[in-house]
Amino acid sequence: MTGIFTAVDTFSRILSRVAEAVALILVASMIYEVAARYVFSAPTIWAFDISYMCTGTLFVLGAAYALREDAHVRIDFLAQKLPVRFRQVMEGTVFVALLAPIYGGLSWFAVKRAWRAFTTAEVEMVSPWAPLMWPFYGLLALGLIAFTLQIFVHGLRIFAGNQKADFELKA
Amino acid sequence: MSVAALMFPLLFLFVLAGIPIALSLTIVSAGAGLLAFGPNVFGQLYGSFYSAATNFILAAIPMFVLMGAVLERSGIAERLFKVMQIWLGRLPGGLAVATIAMGAVFAAAAGVVGAVEVMIGMMAIPAMQRFRYSNSLISGTICAGGSLGTMIPPSVIAVMYASLAQMSVGELLAGMMLPGLVMVLLFIAYLMVHGTLWPPERTELQDEIEDISLAEKLRLTITSLVPIVALIFAVLGSLLAGVASPTEAASVGAVGALLLCVAYGRFSVTMLRESLQITVRISAMILLIVAAGTMFMGTFAANGGSRLIRSSVEAVGMGDAGIIIFFLLIVFLLGFVLDWTANVLICVPLFTPIIRQTGIDPVWFGTMVIIVIQTSYLTPPMASSIFYLKSIAPPDMTYGQMCRGVVPFIILQILTLALVAFYPPLSTWLPDQIVGF
Amino acid sequence: QEVTWQVPTSVPEGSPFYINFLERFADNVDVLTQGRVEIEPFGAGVLVPALQVYDGVKDGIIQAGHSTPSYRVNQDPINAIFAGFPGGMGPEAYITWIYEEGGKEALYDLRAKEGFKSLVVGIGSSEIMAHSNVPVKTAADLKGLKYRTSGPWAEVMREYFGAVPTVVPPGEIYTLLQRKGVDLIEWGPPSGNLPEGFHEAAKYIIVPGVHQPTFLWEVVLKQETWDAVADDLKPLIETAAELTTMQGLLHFYAEDVKALETYSKGKNEIITLDAAFIDELSAAGKDWISKKSEAEKEAGKPEMAALLADYNTFMDRWSAESSYLIRNQN
Ligand code: NA
Ligand code: NA
Repeated sequence: MTGIFTAVDTFSRILSRVAEAVALILVASMIYEVAARYVFSAPTIWAFDISYMCTGTLFVLGAAYALREDAHVRIDFLAQKLPVRFRQVMEGTVFVALLAPIYGGLSWFAVKRAWRAFTTAEVEMVSPWAPLMWPFYGLLALGLIAFTLQIFVHGLRIFAGNQKADFELKA
Repeated sequence: MSVAALMFPLLFLFVLAGIPIALSLTIVSAGAGLLAFGPNVFGQLYGSFYSAATNFILAAIPMFVLMGAVLERSGIAERLFKVMQIWLGRLPGGLAVATIAMGAVFAAAAGVVGAVEVMIGMMAIPAMQRFRYSNSLISGTICAGGSLGTMIPPSVIAVMYASLAQMSVGELLAGMMLPGLVMVLLFIAYLMVHGTLWPPERTELQDEIEDISLAEKLRLTITSLVPIVALIFAVLGSLLAGVASPTEAASVGAVGALLLCVAYGRFSVTMLRESLQITVRISAMILLIVAAGTMFMGTFAANGGSRLIRSSVEAVGMGDAGIIIFFLLIVFLLGFVLDWTANVLICVPLFTPIIRQTGIDPVWFGTMVIIVIQTSYLTPPMASSIFYLKSIAPPDMTYGQMCRGVVPFIILQILTLALVAFYPPLSTWLPDQIVGF
Repeated sequence: QEVTWQVPTSVPEGSPFYINFLERFADNVDVLTQGRVEIEPFGAGVLVPALQVYDGVKDGIIQAGHSTPSYRVNQDPINAIFAGFPGGMGPEAYITWIYEEGGKEALYDLRAKEGFKSLVVGIGSSEIMAHSNVPVKTAADLKGLKYRTSGPWAEVMREYFGAVPTVVPPGEIYTLLQRKGVDLIEWGPPSGNLPEGFHEAAKYIIVPGVHQPTFLWEVVLKQETWDAVADDLKPLIETAAELTTMQGLLHFYAEDVKALETYSKGKNEIITLDAAFIDELSAAGKDWISKKSEAEKEAGKPEMAALLADYNTFMDRWSAESSYLIRNQN
C-alpha cells in the first residue's frame, strides 16, 4: 500500500517539475512575442497559442503535487473544532467517495477527448498557426489523472489516520 | 427551492467542513451538473475546465507570481523594504502605506486580481513582520492593495464588463479612475491614522537603521530602490507605450525581475528552482479555483440560475434605487463563490437590459458594480483575496487575523461606494472630459 | 412544451449576434410553434467552451448549439466558403445564393456528413475593414502595418500586401489599439464594433469590409435529435430559422446605419477605399481561396473546388446582371 502511495507522490512530483519548465516557456514565449512585435515588427503566429497552452498545462500538471503539499486553500477554522476522528472520516469519505469518482470521470472524458483530437488530427480553431491539439489535450488528461490518483491517496491516508499529525498540529 | 438556489448553501457546507475551496466547488458543480446533464455531466464539467485552461488572460497569474517569488527569494525585496523603512520609518504606518502604493502601481499594470496580491504579499509580509506590524494589519493591507487591480485601469474586468454591457470601454475605464483614486487615498489615510494611534513597536532593526550614516543611506537607496523603480517603469511603461498588452506586461515583470537578480549577483539555479516551485504551487491553487468556479457557473446557469435572478427582480418590482441595491447585492453574493469572470458573465447580461430601460447612467452603475465585486473578494468567509493570501502566509498568520484585517478596508470600500452612489459625478465627470484620442 | 433545447452560442450574452440571431430565433420558434418548442439561449462559455459548440452537440452535452463555420475553417477549409471570405459575395448576393441557388443545401449536406442537422440562423452585413491609427488608402500603405486579424484575411494580408497580421485576444484589442501596440484591427460589422469602443481608441475607420463581405451563423443538432422532433414541428422550426435570418440581416442594416452615423458625427475619419484598391484586395482574396481549393483537390478532396466553382458562377452572374438594382449609395 505505501509503495503505491509513494509511486503516486512521485508521479505528481515529476509532473510538477514539468510544470516548472512550462512556466519558464510561458515567460519566454510571451517576452519573445513582445520583442518580436515591437522591436522587429514581426509578431509570431504561435506565441498566443503557446502562452495559453502553457498556462493551462502548468496549473493542471501542478494540481496534484499542490494537493500533496496541502497547498489547495481551505477554510478550516470551524472544522478544527470538530473531533479529529470525525473529521478524518468525513474528509476521507469526501475524497474517496465523492472527489475521486468526479475527477476520475473528468479524467476519463479528458482521455477520450485527447484520443479524438489525435485520431481526427484536430487543429486549433481560430489560430493562424493552427497547431495540432492532441499534445495539449494529452497533457490536460495526464494532469487530471495524476490529480485523481492523488485525491484517492489523500483520502486513504486520511482514513488511515496517516495525516493525523497534521490535523492535531493545526488544531 | 430550485437547484440553482440550493447550490450556495451546499457549497458553504463543504467549505466550512474544511474541504479545499476548489474541490468544494467541484463537488457541488458535479451534483448540480448531474441533474442538468445526466450522464453527460463529465463532458460538461470538462468543458468548463477547458475554458479556464485556455483563458489567455490568466497567463498573467503565473508570471506575476514568478516575479514576486524571484524578488523575494533573491533578497531583493528585503533590501527594498529596508530602504523604504529608512525613509518612511517616521511616517505613521510607513511600510503599510508603501505596500498599498505598490499595490496601486502594479494594479495599474495588471488586470487580474490574485496576481498582484500574491506578488506583493510575498515581498511585503516578511518585511512588515520584521518591523512588527500586526498580522491583521499586514493581511488587510495586502488583500486591499492587491485587489486594486480591479479598480485601477486598465482592468481586464472593466473591459469585459463594458463589452458585455454594450457600453464604451473607454468611458467605464475613465469612470473608475477617480473612485479608484479616492479609494487609494482613503486606504492611505486609514493606514496613517492607524499608524499614529497604534504604531508598531520599535525593534532593534529600527535602531540599526537610524545608526546608518546618510551617505550609506543614499548608497543603499540608489542600489536598491532605483532598480526596482526601473522595473516598475518597465512593466508600466511597456503597457502605456503600447509595447505590451496587459497580460504581456506581466512577462516584462518576470523577465525584469530575473535580470535584476543577475545584476545583483543573486541569481542561482537554486533560487530559480525555488521560485518556479512556488509559482507552480500557487498558480495551480488559484487556477484550480478559477476552473472550478467556471464549472459552478455553468451548472448554476444550466439549472436556471439566471432565470432565478431575473424572476426575483421582476417579482420584487421596485424603483430605480431598489433595483440598483438589489443588483449590487446579487453581485456581492455571487462574488463570494464565483471568480470575477464568472460573476460578470452571469450578472452583466442580466442587468443590462433592465438598467437601460430605467435610464440609470450605465457608467455610474458599472463603476458601482466593479467596486462591489472588489469588495466581495475581500469579504469573509468566502473571499478570494483571503484564499490567495493564505497560500503565501506564514503559519503564524491565522485566518481570524486575516478576516479582522480586511474589515477596515471593506468599510472604506463601502464608503467609496457610498460616495459614488450619492455623488454620481465622481464617476461620470471624467469620462466626458477625456474619452477619445 | 414538447421540446426544450438549451442552446449556447459562441458570443457572450448581450452581444448583437446573440440578441439579433439566437434570441430572435428563440422568439420566432416560440411564436410559430405556439410555445410547443422552447429554445433557451445561453451566452458563450457558460455551458460549453465558446469555440466548441459543435463538439458540445456531438458529445451530447447540449441538444443544439449556435455557432459559425468560421471556427471550422482550420479543420476543413471548405467552411471558408460559407463563413464568407475576402473578395467573396456581399450580403445581398450571398443570401440569394444561400436560399435560392443551392448554398443552403450544400451547407446542409456538408453538415449531414458530420452527423449534424444544420439550420441557417443568421446572415450578417459587411464588416468594417479596420479601425486604424494610420490612414490606409493604397496597397503600399498596408506594408509593414501590424493588423489584428485572423483567418483567410491574415494570410491575404501577409502574402499579398506585406502587412503583419497580429494575434490579439478579444479582451486586449481595445487596450492595444488605443496604445498603438497594433496599427489597425478588424472585428465585426459597424453595429457590432460600436459597443466595443474601437472608434474611441483609433481615429480612422476604413470601409468597405472587403475582408469579410458577409458572414453566416447556424444552429446545429445531432441528426437523431432532429429526427425525434414531431413531423408537424419541423417545418415550423425551419421557417423560424429562415425568418430569423431575414429579420436579422435587415436589423443589422438598420443598426449599422445608426452606428456609422455615430462614427461620422464623432471625431473619426471614415476612409472609403477607391474602386481600384477594392478590386486589388478582392482579387487577392479570390486568388487565395482558389489556391486553397486547388490544394485540397490535389490532396484528394475535390469538394471545395466544386463548391467554389458553383459559388463563383453565381457571383459572376450576380455581378453581371445586378446593375439594374437601385442601391441608393453616394
Ligand atoms: Na488594472
Ligand atoms: Na472579423
